[in-house]
Amino acid sequence: MAPPETAAPAVRLDGITKRFGDVVANDGVDFTLERGTVHALLGENGSGKTTLMSVLYGLYDQDAGTIAIDGQPRAFDSPRDAMDAGVGMIHQHFQLVEPMTVLQNVILGHEPTENGLVDEAAARDDVEAICSRYDFDVDRYLDTPVRELDLGARQRVEIVKSLYRGAEILVLDEPTAVLTPQEADRLFDVMDELTASGRSLVFITHKLDEALTAADEITVLRDGAAVGTVAAADATERELARLMVGREVLFDRERRETAPGEPLLAVEDLRVRGDRGLERVREVGFTVREREILGVAGVQGNGQTELVEALAGLRPVASGAIRFRGEDVTGLSRRERIEAGIAYVPEDRQTEGLVQDYDLVHNALLGNHTIEPYARRGFVDWAAVREHAEEIVREYDVQPPTPDAEAASLSGGNQQKFIAGREIEHDPDVMVAAHPTRGVDVGSIEFIHDRLLALRDAGLAIVLVSSKLEEIRTLSDRIAVMYEGEFVDTVDPDAVTDEELGLLMAGRDRGEDPTDARRGEAEVEPDRADGPDGGGRA
Amino acid sequence: MTDPDAGGGRRLDRAADRMLGASAVQRLLIATASTVLALVVGLVVVAAAGYDPATFLVNVFEGSFGDATAVAQTLRSTTLFVLTGVAVAVAFRAGVFNIGVQGQFVVGGFATVVSILWLAPLAPENAVGGAALLVCGALAAVVAGGLYGALPGVLKAYADANEIITTIMLNFIAIGVVGWLVDGPFRGEGQRAPNTARIPEHVGLPRLVFDVPDFSVVGLAVALVAVGAIAVVMERTRLGYDMITSGHQEAAAAFSGVDAKRTIVATMTLSGMVAGVAGAVFAVMIQGYYSDPSGIGTYGFDAIAVSLLAANNPLGVVPAGLLFGGLDAAGRHIGIYSDVPVQLIDGVVGLVVLFVAAPELFRMAARRTGLGGEDR
Repeated sequence: MAPPETAAPAVRLDGITKRFGDVVANDGVDFTLERGTVHALLGENGSGKTTLMSVLYGLYDQDAGTIAIDGQPRAFDSPRDAMDAGVGMIHQHFQLVEPMTVLQNVILGHEPTENGLVDEAAARDDVEAICSRYDFDVDRYLDTPVRELDLGARQRVEIVKSLYRGAEILVLDEPTAVLTPQEADRLFDVMDELTASGRSLVFITHKLDEALTAADEITVLRDGAAVGTVAAADATERELARLMVGREVLFDRERRETAPGEPLLAVEDLRVRGDRGLERVREVGFTVREREILGVAGVQGNGQTELVEALAGLRPVASGAIRFRGEDVTGLSRRERIEAGIAYVPEDRQTEGLVQDYDLVHNALLGNHTIEPYARRGFVDWAAVREHAEEIVREYDVQPPTPDAEAASLSGGNQQKFIAGREIEHDPDVMVAAHPTRGVDVGSIEFIHDRLLALRDAGLAIVLVSSKLEEIRTLSDRIAVMYEGEFVDTVDPDAVTDEELGLLMAGRDRGEDPTDARRGEAEVEPDRADGPDGGGRA
Repeated sequence: MTDPDAGGGRRLDRAADRMLGASAVQRLLIATASTVLALVVGLVVVAAAGYDPATFLVNVFEGSFGDATAVAQTLRSTTLFVLTGVAVAVAFRAGVFNIGVQGQFVVGGFATVVSILWLAPLAPENAVGGAALLVCGALAAVVAGGLYGALPGVLKAYADANEIITTIMLNFIAIGVVGWLVDGPFRGEGQRAPNTARIPEHVGLPRLVFDVPDFSVVGLAVALVAVGAIAVVMERTRLGYDMITSGHQEAAAAFSGVDAKRTIVATMTLSGMVAGVAGAVFAVMIQGYYSDPSGIGTYGFDAIAVSLLAANNPLGVVPAGLLFGGLDAAGRHIGIYSDVPVQLIDGVVGLVVLFVAAPELFRMAARRTGLGGEDR
């Protein structure tokens, strides 16, 4: 539909209140999206961002308040109504049919037909027109099944799908959560192009820097209420963080001088193959001592996943050795490594770290089920496990504070706190933590960081893998930079700048001119006829 | 975490939500209501076919618990449905689709009869000898059923062969091979039908409480003990935790150090062992010999419906098995005491199964497709 020639905002939400039982998810929220702008909806996990947008999108009926689109009061009974009115939503979990091709996915439900048959040629033309208008690369793999695409490409398919259905207003729900930094940059370019063409975007995020980078206006939600709306140009991270959590957040942590002790974990000439048989870790060697955090920095997809899985015992080693307290543990199974005292906070908390439809008691046993007192002679002592779960919930401030809650009902930050607690309570000697704060709200990040530092001070050797430079710099005693499967350099966090780290992560020397540094390729995009893709901004 | 599926699936999602959220009591109520509803629809069909629905209904009740014999008949079938149902539930709970319970049931039962016949000359011909032979027969069934279940487990774990397909094919193989064996090498002397010889008189379950030839409370007790043992294994042991976790989320199981391949084999073996026990009870309590397995009941297949009805919970298999046992007994009673054709009875029984199992099937489908509940 063509936007009317008025100055009315694209979306105006007035006093939206939404309750789920006794829980007030949105409490009288006002929200205005001006035409042709990006409005970020910022808040911690569980602050009501998605609920608010689900009300707009017709997924929920509000208990109070009004919705106006282009100045017209509207009430959507279903997402289809919303779509017909030009409102599209890109969900955090993509709604694509994986075995079907990109083209089939884009036109699904809105297929152009001729004589009752799908007119594929017309569909192809339409989709290609959209792609060329916004300079999307989606048209280059229209006939590729979606399951072969990486997550960034899938997201662009979702956006094209919404545009194909005529969306003028697009809601992006945590779109960067699944993306690598390059892919996120690319998404921000796409968002710029969309607003340049007069479309209006809502950008749901809990990341301060992204909101500041990508949005024109930022509305902060806290506990379901809008606590402030600011122009991105005048806002600072500190101010936004204070709005989000309702108190000052310490960004610059005092780093304490520590004295590393005996070497606990030593890796020699490690080579590990990835899922497709390609060598993803190449001759990596390092040593981590007691009271030391080794940060592994790098653009995602440069072998970090394979490295941590090899350390945890989840992935076989092609060659090389892993030594724990001087003993070769390369041949030990995952279980034997857990029992030896190597703990692992997994990269994917949703599928690996927790069983989603178990309660926290059953989840507390995960990885512990051969260890006394939780299991003895093959039998599980559920009373002991429950006590353990209660302790984790209490000590690690897990909300809701009951071990009977289903894991799936916890927000990302609370899931992560629970996992961190469970792994720490193993009383390990070595901790391998992969992206321990990814997708976690500010308050929980602070909490998890404190715990990791406390563990280090208690004498553990910690390997911390993260794609967040800030996190790596704050916590690490040494930083190893991983690029294309190799440790290209190991640096002192106090003696290196962000720029130098960025260059190393891109596979360059520290001294090179940053202007011609091309960012490292993250994951290989699907097979395409026309050669490799630049990844970052061209 | 309130982010349900988008699009037209919203209503379906809400319905799925309600199904997933149902408590045990609600499920029992749903099952009861479904049974009543199915009987009402069935009676309409019976009336439409020109038979008296009132008489039909009376026959259903008489046949399932009208007198001691009817109760015994119900419990006889219940025993088998509970055992085979638990065998299915073990596997389904662990995310392994063992459709081969029928085959494991046949192999187990045949092994029981053959081992008893072989060992009978070595044991004294009294109650003690009979009991010893029964124990040996049951052990043979457990081993045979377990091995026959382990085979598709190994194929799935180490050769990536889909267990649904291999177990279905192994059913055919079990039925065909045992059928040939009872017709040829193991055919009893003087048997006119393709049957093995009868197991000796003193080798049998005692007639307690009910004085009928084909049911013994000892058989039912075996079934209930099996249920209890499996429930303990699933809920209170490491193996059970490994199995259920693998079934829910393989990556999480791997994270916790579970060997997925070994767990698959263990699951299939355990499932096959229980199916073997069912076969042994069938052979000893009901038949007393072994016949062409293509002609015996399809307990191993009906067990899938029993297990689904019980939401794959070992304890839930008991009431589910009782319902199926009652319907089975009623069906046979009506077949004998009324002129209603057996196809019509099967149709009505099928309606009950459909009505009762559909909600559970829907629930399971909802879980698999991710509809309902919290978004993942």
